[in-house]
Amino acid sequence: MSDRPLPSRRSCLSDLGMGFTGLALGAMLRRDAYANEREWAPPDGRPHFEPKAKSVIWLFMNGGVSHMESFDPKPALNRYAGKTIAQTPYADVQDPEKLEIERLVVPDVNGNQRDEIYPLQTGYRRHGPDGIEVSDWFPYIAGQVDKIAIVRSMWTTDSNHGAQVQFHSGRHQNDGKFPTLGAWVHYGLGTLDANLPQFISMGTRPRWNSSDSLYLGAEYESVPLRVAPGKDPFDYASAEVSPGSSRGLPLCDRTRREGLDLVRQLNLLRGKEYPDDPALDARIASYEMAYRMQTAVPGVVDISREPEATKTLYGLDKPHCREFGTQLLAARRFVERGVRFVQIQHGGGGAGKWDAHKDLKKRHTRDALAVDQPIAALLIDLERRGLLDETLVVFVTEFGRTPGSQSANGRDHHIFGFSVWMAGGGLKRGVVHGATDELGFHAVESPHYVTDVHATILHQLGLDSRRLEIPGRKRLDVDHGNPITEIMA
Amino acid sequence: MRSCLTVLLVLGASLCADETSSEHWSFRPLVRPNPPRVSNASWVRNPIDAFIARQHEERGLTPQLEAPREVLIRRLYLDLIGLPPGAKELDAFATDADPARYDRAVERLLDAPQHGERWARHWMDIWRYSDWDGFKGQLRSSQKQIWHWRDWIVESLNDDTPYDQMLRQMLAADELYPDDLDKLRATGYLARNWVLFNRNQWLDSAVEHVSKSMLGLTMDCAKCHDHKYDPITHRDYFAMRAFFEPYHVRVDVVPGQPDPAVDGIPRVFDGLLEEPTYLFVHGDEDRPDKSTSIAPAVPAFLSFAKLTIEPVSLPIESWQPARRPWVLESHVSATRRDLETAREDLSSAKANVTATAGQEEAVVKQAELELRVAELSVELQERELVSMKRRVEALRASWVRPEKTDGTVAGAPKGPERDMVVAAVRAERERDAARARRDLAAAELDVVLSVPEKRTKHQKKVARDKLEKAKESLERATKRLEQPVRPRDKYPLLVGAKWTPTRFRRSNRDDPGVSFPPTSSGRRTALARWITDPRHPLTARVAANHVWTRHMGRPLVESVFDFGPNGRAPTHPELLDWLASELIDSGWSLKHLHRLIVSSASYRLSSSNKGARRSTKKDPDNLRWWRRSPIRLESQLVRDAILAHAGRLEPTLGGPPVLRDDQESSTRRSLYFFHSASDRNRFLASFDEASVKECYRREQSVLPQQALALTNSRLVLESAPRIARRLNAGKDATTDREYVRRAFLSLLGIRASDAEITSSVDALVRWIASSDGDVTAARARFIWVLLNHNDFVTLR
Repeated sequence: MSDRPLPSRRSCLSDLGMGFTGLALGAMLRRDAYANEREWAPPDGRPHFEPKAKSVIWLFMNGGVSHMESFDPKPALNRYAGKTIAQTPYADVQDPEKLEIERLVVPDVNGNQRDEIYPLQTGYRRHGPDGIEVSDWFPYIAGQVDKIAIVRSMWTTDSNHGAQVQFHSGRHQNDGKFPTLGAWVHYGLGTLDANLPQFISMGTRPRWNSSDSLYLGAEYESVPLRVAPGKDPFDYASAEVSPGSSRGLPLCDRTRREGLDLVRQLNLLRGKEYPDDPALDARIASYEMAYRMQTAVPGVVDISREPEATKTLYGLDKPHCREFGTQLLAARRFVERGVRFVQIQHGGGGAGKWDAHKDLKKRHTRDALAVDQPIAALLIDLERRGLLDETLVVFVTEFGRTPGSQSANGRDHHIFGFSVWMAGGGLKRGVVHGATDELGFHAVESPHYVTDVHATILHQLGLDSRRLEIPGRKRLDVDHGNPITEIMA
Repeated sequence: MRSCLTVLLVLGASLCADETSSEHWSFRPLVRPNPPRVSNASWVRNPIDAFIARQHEERGLTPQLEAPREVLIRRLYLDLIGLPPGAKELDAFATDADPARYDRAVERLLDAPQHGERWARHWMDIWRYSDWDGFKGQLRSSQKQIWHWRDWIVESLNDDTPYDQMLRQMLAADELYPDDLDKLRATGYLARNWVLFNRNQWLDSAVEHVSKSMLGLTMDCAKCHDHKYDPITHRDYFAMRAFFEPYHVRVDVVPGQPDPAVDGIPRVFDGLLEEPTYLFVHGDEDRPDKSTSIAPAVPAFLSFAKLTIEPVSLPIESWQPARRPWVLESHVSATRRDLETAREDLSSAKANVTATAGQEEAVVKQAELELRVAELSVELQERELVSMKRRVEALRASWVRPEKTDGTVAGAPKGPERDMVVAAVRAERERDAARARRDLAAAELDVVLSVPEKRTKHQKKVARDKLEKAKESLERATKRLEQPVRPRDKYPLLVGAKWTPTRFRRSNRDDPGVSFPPTSSGRRTALARWITDPRHPLTARVAANHVWTRHMGRPLVESVFDFGPNGRAPTHPELLDWLASELIDSGWSLKHLHRLIVSSASYRLSSSNKGARRSTKKDPDNLRWWRRSPIRLESQLVRDAILAHAGRLEPTLGGPPVLRDDQESSTRRSLYFFHSASDRNRFLASFDEASVKECYRREQSVLPQQALALTNSRLVLESAPRIARRLNAGKDATTDREYVRRAFLSLLGIRASDAEITSSVDALVRWIASSDGDVTAARARFIWVLLNHNDFVTLR
């Protein structure tokens, strides 16, 4: 490790006291760990260039939203309904060479070619000044289409639900586990509010997509919060022994703070015996974060004092919107206070709610109903508070669904072309970028791999992913992706 | 939250283009290496250290000093029994320099029953222990009484049952010890793979995890195609599956409990002897290649000897388990117990009649009717007992008839046996009539109770309808009493085991039952013998690596479940081989391996890199063990240690798991907490609880949620004052300074520095002053601080 004396970091830490400055503690700790790499410097918490956006709200629809029935109208499907793809003029979409990008993990009954064209299960209408088409299952988002930039030409490679982790990390699950976008943002940027975690995760996550920071280190892990009406945001949110109890140790704010001061002091002293122990460093940081979380988070997630009109806007008066709406309203309150990255999983757990292998109409209408109004509300709410310009709202899903039918009334996983959209944060408003072919099969115009979405977001945040790289963890070109400059304002 | 580390091979697969399978290090036969001669001979305590020291010398590394004695003893206790040393042991250790004291502690701890509990949890990680999972009451995976297998692991480790025997019992006790219930518990290992809806998922788990945990082979990679790195073909995967193809799960009756749903041993048996194994094209279960059935076989590159599979004739008691001596006895004695209970109820009903005499009419009437019900219940239980005895006699008589080869009993009952059957059928009819009389009385009681106005109209109607039905039932039962017993009338048989029904057919009903055949295929015995053959190049190496990892905090082979060419090479290949040889040559004694490792100088090193700038620079990741790598305590240890310090830990071993609602108030060791994929304890879950799906290594995360669990949980807040009091009880713990010293030593295994003592005493003085001199409260707060100290959750 370093040749220079190590204790500087620790004296620095103890000088800081509990007030703690804004920049990431992790960045300071990390600086020592890699001090021997002279040419390399860890992030100092400042953007690499002028940022357009400060925060990200990442809305992930687990299971795979049908692009043809959301943001990418394909009337040809109605025209050729019941025919096989081979019977249409577009038979070449199934040319084996064009299917080679697929990287199979587990061959099973799903994730296969579906030959018989399944007609659109919903209608489309034009919305906004530019008449952008959005399906009738998303009427509220359609009403805000002038705020969003739709990308209709996404592709990925994992035809199983490992594509969920792929959309977060940019890597196929067979390659191993890699940090997710949120962890990179947290790692690269300092905090805007020292009292809140900078990377928050809400909603259920499937096992294969359950962690974020990985090799970036424990301090960049997202902090999972349970945001639901009437629930504590995390376990042990408050002391489980009430003051005045005779059975346990009662703690008030003052005694807790005094105790934690001593914990920190003693941990730092132990650091003299164990001068280079990353676990000890992370432990000290985790206590800081825990204290701040406990103090600040419950107030933020408590939406009870929001005006009734706002609650109604998010659909909290409707049972089907209540959970997701509460999370989005909390997300707005978090970014308002400077949290960098709020990651919300909709329909997570198992394969994901949107995974409509059968009963597509029934399932997608149910799920759209749960997210449509809250998402539109979020855009309206951010806009009227002047926050939309500095907040990137991202609507993403692991893949689209097949033009052909599965189980008579469903669609299978489809990796070759699908849609996502982004809004705010210095992007163009009310635009459509890229296109799939007539059947919605392949992304044919301006195709984008999932890391292009990452690159776009990082760019708007003023970060260069190549300058975040850690020695010994060389990333591939594809990991960095290319910013989608066409949708930038 | 994340629960378990899946070892990821991000970089540097060690596959060399020209390396063939027979040359790959882990596929070569195991040869015991000689410990090298090293110049730092005085450091060497046993041969482990010679292997370690050689790499130090080759790389210019200097081992750190031995850890301080208080650190050592805490390390040893937590490592070997999962509990911290008591104050007395610590004091003795910290002051007594007798070198033999350490060795004596090693022996004492290895002999302690808590050793089995501690190491059972490690093996439960590796062997994927999971309590049952399901939907409401419906069992969907594992087994309801799977905890018997956990108890078997604890006991076997405490008995130092040789590792090879343990594996053989887990894989094939039903063939090797078909009537030994204790050993049959071991097959819970395979019963745990049981899933309600999908046979393939079940057998895939068996193939994947037997291979990973015992052999360090990723056979699962060959499910859809030939293995990309190991010489394992697509066909090999299914040849491995064929060993497991016949097996199913049943629950055997245990002495004293005739109902396997209440308690019984879940165990495996070969039920589908003729079931073919087909290769699935591209691993797709919808595309079986039915042209050939694949026979059980091991991959060619590991067939060091001919694999012989011989069918096993099972003793009759194992496939007709009702014949086991305790089974019928259990049925009879359970019925006797029910009779006793009924008699006790009758006494209280009589007492109640006396007590209510002279009260208002309704009360008296109710008491009388209750007495009537109680009397009839006794009569019912008496009839039940008679019926049970007749059934037992008839069943016993049937056993002396000659058997046919298919296992059924020849012919119809004749002569005295026929009389017994008739008697059993009649006794059962008497029992039914007695029940009908009791039910009628109960229905009458219910009508009386329904008279008061508070009952709704609907409730009254229900009571009246019930009464009508009861009358009809009694009529029918009485009529049956008079009817002759026909040859086709049967009495219900008494069972000694119950097949665990599956629903593979998706029919919403249980699949047709799988019966218990008189022979077993012998396949799993052959597999177990192959795995535990001392010539097997992988088994002992993989086991030695598992054991080393848990003592030392890091493995010798990083990819603990992949010893193939795509895994990592060992950092100390000769040491690994030497440990593996020791394991085999000691008669597969795990305790021998534990003893060797914890007695080495390498184990006793300090985990600090203080003053080791040169070594740190040369080997920053400590791959060459020039110091110890600290370990974040596993979830169970965190909780157990808190309870132990508070003097609250209950020493009881074994038994059914502690259910979620009882966990908060339970003081049992954490390994007894109910633990499945969907039901886990939230305190333990904060500290990287083992994933039941796969957990070859525990993750050691550091998260704010852990800080919250340790600052806010009832467990900690209630334990802190108790711990504080216990530490006060010492004879000279009077001054704050002495108290602080003691607390550091006891909770953290730290001889506190002057600075640590000063900081602590300063805080204590302030806290005492601010609480009007309440020393007890201030000390409790101080203990709370130490429970939140990094080193409390760290094995230094």
